[in-house]
Amino acid sequence: MAINLLIVDDSSVMRSMIVKALRMSGIDLGAIHQASNGKEGLDRLDEHGVDLAIVDIAMPVMNGEEMIDCMRSRPDTNQIPVIVISTEGSEARIERLKEKGAWFIHKPFTPERIRDVINEFVGRQNV
Amino acid sequence: MNLLEGRMSERLNEILYRVAEEILESLAFLFPVLDEERKKISNVFVWGASISFGGPFSGRLVILASETILPDLVKNMLGLDAGEEVSLDQQHDALMELLSIVCGNLLPAIAGKKAMFNLDVPKILFPEEYDALMQKQDSVSQVILELENGQTDFILFIEEDNLSLNSLPLV
Repeated sequence: MAINLLIVDDSSVMRSMIVKALRMSGIDLGAIHQASNGKEGLDRLDEHGVDLAIVDIAMPVMNGEEMIDCMRSRPDTNQIPVIVISTEGSEARIERLKEKGAWFIHKPFTPERIRDVINEFVGRQNV
Repeated sequence: MNLLEGRMSERLNEILYRVAEEILESLAFLFPVLDEERKKISNVFVWGASISFGGPFSGRLVILASETILPDLVKNMLGLDAGEEVSLDQQHDALMELLSIVCGNLLPAIAGKKAMFNLDVPKILFPEEYDALMQKQDSVSQVILELENGQTDFILFIEEDNLSLNSLPLV
């Protein structure tokens, strides 16, 4: 079954890189929605149902961690899986994100790393 | 600068060079060569970007890059063909993203993975802003890299309150 995605990153080049890596991964992709900050990301979630959100951390207006907190506080979005793709290097903050149910991919990433994490997500969905 | 600070500065330069080299290669397939002989990049035909950070120490990282390398940076990041056009907005976006990724990887390389930093959103730095910054504050580290189609400099500034290099928690 195709996966509908939301990609939230303030860099349009990075969003395009992520889309390209996803297309190279061989994963069955449905609609890919995009936003350039956490607030826009929440707006997209109001408009579209998605199976997975891919979120950066350092963004203007609303950062990725604030967006995840909002998602987790809303009944319509609190079950949406989140993958954080970020340069974050602090073990404590990465652990905090994982406690909020997010997977973590470090920038720079390889297409293989994205494929592996999404395959793990798809595998869990199919269990 | 005393001898110990001189060694710390050398160590910072080594870390900055290693991180910048790794990111340029893995993110954009650009293979830099350290060029200690070359003078600092001139403001002509150069784009710059800056990112501020706070945490165990505060400061900013600046990148200056020849405008000739920016189209290649975008094309390599996106896997575009050599003949494809890229916009100036894409070039600025790619420069800021490159800087953000270098900074995000540099700080834990300096201070360790237990240190927690907050990175601001990067911004494009215009020549007059760079000149003002250089007059206002001395950099603690600078690496000058040569690329096939141009040059790039990475310059690290640390706030004066944290300026004693000997106090930096180098890992």
